[in-house]
Amino acid sequence: MKKKLIKCSQVAKHICDNLDSQLDTARCRAIKKHIRECPNCYAYLDSVKKTVHLYRIEQTPKLPERSKRKLLAVLKMK
Amino acid sequence: MKGGKDSPAILISGILPYPFIIQLMKSSGTTYDTREDLALISRARGGDSQAFESLVRRYQDLVFKFAFKLSRNREMAEELYQDTFVNVFRKLNQFDGKSKFSTWLYRIVANNYLMKTRKSKLSRASVSIDAPEGFTDNPGRDDEGHIVQTLPAWRSTPLDGVLQHEMRATLDRAIAKLPTDYRMVFLLRDVEERSAEETAKILKLSVPAVKSRLHRARAFLRNQLDGYMRS
Repeated sequence: MKKKLIKCSQVAKHICDNLDSQLDTARCRAIKKHIRECPNCYAYLDSVKKTVHLYRIEQTPKLPERSKRKLLAVLKMK
Repeated sequence: MKGGKDSPAILISGILPYPFIIQLMKSSGTTYDTREDLALISRARGGDSQAFESLVRRYQDLVFKFAFKLSRNREMAEELYQDTFVNVFRKLNQFDGKSKFSTWLYRIVANNYLMKTRKSKLSRASVSIDAPEGFTDNPGRDDEGHIVQTLPAWRSTPLDGVLQHEMRATLDRAIAKLPTDYRMVFLLRDVEERSAEETAKILKLSVPAVKSRLHRARAFLRNQLDGYMRS
């Protein structure tokens, strides 16, 4: 039986759905093979991973001490 | 918090519901030991103000950081922090223990944020995703049959949280365009690293809905950053 070729658009959807998936189904193996051979899908996967990484490493400001004190004061009044 | 007989907390039974015990046994990977949460909640329900303050100290950073990441605004994040713990204080008896305490906190922050932004057009908008430029289902091939790369690669990203001002502004602009419903899913799944099941509980969505929104949110943000990140 002739194997159905996977399209790049299908790979892109799979990448977004299963970024960190360790699934080892036949479909996943076919997609991983496609990514190894397709520079566009490889670049797309890399860019989605970098998007997530940038938002994950971004530092947030510290909770100000005055805000902590204000909350405790409000709670004491309840 | 007053621990006297007038306190609403004194009216709440200190006995924790059975599902909370089950959750305790199943718990893994939480920020804090669920057994300690269990003990603190029980004492706070009995009117112990020190126990409630301990809960606040344990989770204040989680609440404030999530609030900031949602709003991208320090002032609003401080308001969300205050509102969330005041809600927790008032509604501690409504925490049924079927989920982790942090799950409940995330839900309160998310609800408070939705209340504050419900008039915004972005709160319930949908996301449209264009195919990235250079991405095609029929790529060209070279003489040796290899696919020709038409989608530009991205440059390297920093390894730590020190981002340049320009990069930070780009991330701000991109996520500001992402509708709230999608932003919440993206932040909980990819930034806070919550499971699809927990994210579904927090946002009262089905797991397939979480997956669908995450797919669209990732693709949308990726496309928004594309111009800046091309090497």
